[in-house]
Amino acid sequence: MMLQQILNGIASGAVYALFALGFSLIFGVQRILNLAHGGVFMAGAFVSFYAVDTGVPFPLAILLAMVVAGLVSVLIDLIAIQPLRRRSHDIEYAAIVSTLGIDMMLISVAQQVSNTQVLRFPFGTFPIQFFTIFGLRISLLQLVIFAAVIVLTGGLGWYLNKTSFGRQIRAVAENPSTASLLGVSPSAVYLQTFFIAGALAGLTGVLIGLSFNSIHFLMGEPYMLKAFVVVVIGGLGSLTGAVAASLLLGVLQALAVAYLPTGVPDMLIFAILFLVLLVQPNGLFGAAGMAARVGRK
Amino acid sequence: MMQFFTANQALFDFFLLSLGFAYSQQIVLRAGVFSIATVGFVAIGAYLAGYLVTKSEFGGLPAILAATLVAGLGGLLLSVPLSRLRGVFQAIATLAFVEIVLNALYYLEPYTGGAMGMNRIPKLVESWHLLIAVAIVIYVVWSIGRSGIGRAWDAIRQDETVAACLGVSIRKYHTLAFVLSGAIGGLFGAMQGLYFYTITPEQFGFAMVVSVLTTIVLGGRATLAGPIAGALILAVLPEIARPLAENRLFLHGAILLAVIIFVPDGVGDLLVHKLRQRRNGTGRNMIGGETS
Repeated sequence: MMLQQILNGIASGAVYALFALGFSLIFGVQRILNLAHGGVFMAGAFVSFYAVDTGVPFPLAILLAMVVAGLVSVLIDLIAIQPLRRRSHDIEYAAIVSTLGIDMMLISVAQQVSNTQVLRFPFGTFPIQFFTIFGLRISLLQLVIFAAVIVLTGGLGWYLNKTSFGRQIRAVAENPSTASLLGVSPSAVYLQTFFIAGALAGLTGVLIGLSFNSIHFLMGEPYMLKAFVVVVIGGLGSLTGAVAASLLLGVLQALAVAYLPTGVPDMLIFAILFLVLLVQPNGLFGAAGMAARVGRK
Repeated sequence: MMQFFTANQALFDFFLLSLGFAYSQQIVLRAGVFSIATVGFVAIGAYLAGYLVTKSEFGGLPAILAATLVAGLGGLLLSVPLSRLRGVFQAIATLAFVEIVLNALYYLEPYTGGAMGMNRIPKLVESWHLLIAVAIVIYVVWSIGRSGIGRAWDAIRQDETVAACLGVSIRKYHTLAFVLSGAIGGLFGAMQGLYFYTITPEQFGFAMVVSVLTTIVLGGRATLAGPIAGALILAVLPEIARPLAENRLFLHGAILLAVIIFVPDGVGDLLVHKLRQRRNGTGRNMIGGETS
């Protein structure tokens, strides 16, 4: 029973990880909190639903969701971040406000598109199948999520550390002006990171929509709040930290929900967030971060 | 004139309440603290006043004073850990504080009524009470703003390092800002609690955090006129844009975006700034650009 809870926790933690990776990547490179990340996530879920609804095969719908969410994310950078950056370097406060504005706009559009209703994928979009391994029940969907997290995290790590594009991203994260002197265009890098983050958020949206079989315009908000917890515990901007913290959070939450009265699990999680901020503001796994990590100096 | 007020009384009261919340939020931002804890203080104030009045037979005024005091004390306690953090870390920590308060309200059901909220609170607060409270807060904020404390806050906001080099004790002034923010938040929270008959935890969620922050973004962070302008826009806008009621959230977001890009100091601060420029005949920026 306990082991089953832990397994379920790891599964939900894996989804948090996909969501938090993009959020953390944007912070690592641009040092801004993108509050519209939840909106992008929701947009991904919506796109996949309407694609499936109009008869697009499901794998294609996932791809479409990722691309559209990525483009929405790029648009956020163009509309809400670049104008601020042109004006001043210190956009910490302004970027929070502008991305919040975008998030509200996305939510409003989604609310009208869906008529404030909860959308559900048609039955049989994804086969419901369970396997039993060592007495633990695991669904096909959970297996797919694990695979996606492993592949995407690994892929992102490889991309950032081994490719020329990744070197450019890390250079800009380290110091945008030096990078531009060396012929790397920071704006191109920003657009690229926003696209990657958006595509990851879109995929997360589809997976969450599938696991809970519910897609609605406010679905981003709780994940946004969880993402704060994850990125702080893992260290803002640290990608491995984000993954480790997500898994930790998922397990903690599954156990807390199973064994503690209502209201207490969330209280506990945010109290932990508060404590970590006090004791280790750079995160428990901060030191293990990738080069995309930029701590506060 | 009188007729206008009776016709729009609910709107006017809403304006006064959001003005109070806005000052609570502004005072920390002015001191260069990126705290969004106001809603937590408001929730504490509202629930405490509601509890004292319904369960302990407190009168309205003692309950409001108690709520103000306790929320101010909460600000003092919160300032201890938060003075070690800066920028987005402060924002996240205070958001966590709001979430902790919110979940505590759900959990402490015997006292708070859980998700059902607290009901049948006698309505002890009238419009003129709100008006007096706002007048007191404006007077306090105005007099502090003109004193050395206000100048110290402005200095810290514009450049913390410079302020520290000039011998301004950052910690002391941050703590003061926190305490005042807590007390003002608690005061208006209590008034809201004793005004609406009923309070529920969901009132004090992320949506309220956003709306309080919006008031300051629209109005401005540095001047007395800022919250007034912001609260006025937020109160009047839904009335003007009634045909667009469906798109209210969209409009809200778009305005937030446009203001932060084109009027980064806020409408109220901009007006004050222009006025001062005209009076002084200088082109200097008196309120300081956006640094936080």
